[in-house]
This record gives sequence, structure tokens and C-alpha cells, in this order.
Amino acid sequence: MSQGHELSPIEALAAEHALGVLTGPERAQAEARMASDPAFAVLVEDWRARLAPLAAEVASVEPPARLWPSIERSLPANDNGAVLRRLRFWRSATVGSLGVAAASLAAVVFLAAQPPRIVERAAPAAPMLNASLMGGAAQPMFVAAYDPMRKMLLVTSLVPPGADPGHAHQLWVVTADGRSHSLGMVQPGASKVMPMPEPMAPMMAEGSALMVSVEPPSGSPMPHPTGPVAAKGMLTRI
Amino acid sequence: MRRIAGGEREALRQLYQATSAKLFGVCLRILVDRDEAEDVLQDVYLTIWRRADRYDAGRASVIAWTSAIARNRAIDRLRARGPLAMAEPVEDLELADDAPGAEALLEQAGEHGRLLACLDTLDARTRQVIRTAFFEGVTYEALAQRTATPLGTVKSWIRRGLARLKGCLEA
Repeated sequence: MSQGHELSPIEALAAEHALGVLTGPERAQAEARMASDPAFAVLVEDWRARLAPLAAEVASVEPPARLWPSIERSLPANDNGAVLRRLRFWRSATVGSLGVAAASLAAVVFLAAQPPRIVERAAPAAPMLNASLMGGAAQPMFVAAYDPMRKMLLVTSLVPPGADPGHAHQLWVVTADGRSHSLGMVQPGASKVMPMPEPMAPMMAEGSALMVSVEPPSGSPMPHPTGPVAAKGMLTRI
Repeated sequence: MRRIAGGEREALRQLYQATSAKLFGVCLRILVDRDEAEDVLQDVYLTIWRRADRYDAGRASVIAWTSAIARNRAIDRLRARGPLAMAEPVEDLELADDAPGAEALLEQAGEHGRLLACLDTLDARTRQVIRTAFFEGVTYEALAQRTATPLGTVKSWIRRGLARLKGCLEA
């Protein structure tokens, strides 16, 4: 009410968690506290309810029609066993999203129609990384998957084949220090497996971004992009 | 919600039809990446399916409760990208637009209008960082980086702003 009004430390934490400004580890701590401290959980829920009306300003976007059937297929039977439900909840929060990510990766591999050895090999022990490179219209224009075991990057261009024949699409990795390093060209509509030699392999890490720039047919004359950036996406663990 | 908690799939389907475009918009705004937003949206409805018994109509409307779940899940996914994800938005380096859009103006009645009125009592800078945090789900660190302001200063803007917001909403 008055300007000097302050939140207690515990309520400040609840409000920050509800607003979503905490880091990943801090969020995990806050969630754990919600599970063990009902009073804290109520504070967080109250703050979520206070802030939620702002969502009215977010433009609605129709999700693709295939999403509901996919959700329906993954629904477990509801039951009243609270313990079971909790277990399932945690499992779904981890395994569920992994499953979906793996499915999308499978789609990438399928789409790539690369030599079948890629599809046949067993799942790697080190986590795969993938990236969707989004264009200006918030549509993915390229998808990429990196296998750290074999140091292979699979890139698929979703640009229609034959588009913009006067230019080339050059793929770059942008490391955490903001520098870009060329990985080579990607033909519109094509898939490509790129071996990542030693200087490049360590750059294929979470937190690096993949980026495609539009360059002259022979590629950028400079060690960095000279044309406009067509698409960009972060490498994330799946 | 009661029917969903009772395990009625048809009830969840109806909720999905009524809310999925809004919740997808919320996820997409935070994640930008469409594939990730789709992935998170699936997870959101599975969460609703399992937690519907905890919904309390006295505390929040259905859309408020479900959009809070969507934000929470989308932010979890955003954090998985790394601590400074979205520190610099791809499009520009500005903070989120401070002015609500046309759609929002039409919906200013009720809870939303009340919240906007209270946000309006904050100074413009504080209002902007709170709005950016809400819509983009970014960390204190990312907000500090974007506004070229020390972390502690951004924290105190937001904490004081939220305290005043609560006071205003309860007044």
C-alpha cells in the first residue's frame, strides 16, 4: 500500500519464482521447497494467480492439429493414488519430454534420408544435442542434431530445393564468446552429415548456437558471415 | 476441472480446445522455437491431467491456472538452454514493448485491467522489467545484461515493484 511496503524474504522468493526470474538451480530449489513447505507453496500459487492475468496480452497461436492426438495417446489412466500420481508426474516431467525430443530427433533422422547406418546404430551414451534454427517468421528453416560420440553433425535444410539459386546458405557455430566459425554450406532442401574435426567438436556444446547466413555462391569471403542471418537456434541437450 | 480430475478424457479435450491456442502463444512467446513450444505444450496438458485435482476455483480462473502452468514449464525449458539464454533477443536489444496490444485493450476489463492499473502505479522502468520477465521468462541476470544495469539494482527494482503491486492489488 505505502511505498515503503516490503515483501518478507520468503514471500519475495515466492514472487520471484512465480514471475520466473530465478536461474535453473534456484527454480529447482524453489520447486523442492513448494513440495515440502505448504505455506511457501501457497505464497507461490497466490503470486502466480496475481500475475496470470497478464497472459491475456499474449497473442493466441493455434498449435498444429497433430498435437492433440499425440497428447491423448500419452495420457495415462487417472487414478486416486496420490503416491502413484506423484511418481507419474515426476516421471512424465523428465521421461515424457525426453521421449518427445527423441521422437522429433527420429523424425530428423528419417527426414534426412541419409545412409541407413545412422538410423541403425544404437543410441549414444553421451547426450545428443539438437537445434532448430528459426527464421524470421518463427518457423524452423534448418534442423540439426549432433552426436558427440561420433562427432557428427546432421543438418537438414527445410528451405524448398532450388530456392534462391544466386546465393548459398552457410552454416556457422556461434560459441559462447560470440565468435562464429564456419561449418560449411547447406544446400536448400538437402541433408548433410558433417564430421566435426578436433577444433570444431568442442564447440558443439550446450550454449553454442547454430546459425545460417545467406552468402555468395562460393561462401563468405571472410572468416565470419557477411550476408544476412537467415536462421539461428541454440544447441540443446535432449 | 473436476471431470478432468475424475479421469474424463473428453473433459480434457474440451479444455484443450478452449485453451490450447492461448497456452501455445504463452509457450511460444517465451521459447520462440516452435518445436520446443509444441513439446512443452504437450507436457502442460499432461500436467493439467495429473494435477487437475489441485485446481482451486477460489484462487484462480481456469485460464489463469493453466497459463501459469504453461509459463512455468516453458521457463523450465528455457533454463535448460543455459543461464543466459535470451539475454539478447534475436530481433532487437530492447525490452519488451511496454504498451499492451489491441487485443489486450479489449480485454482490459476485470482482473487484467486491475493488474494493468496497478502496474501503471510503478515507475516505467520497473514496469518494463516486470513485464519483460513475465512475457519472456528471462532471469535477473539476463534482465541486468539487457538493461546494462547491475544485478542488485534490477533485483531491487523488481522486489520493490512486486511489493507495491501486491499492495495496490489488495487495496
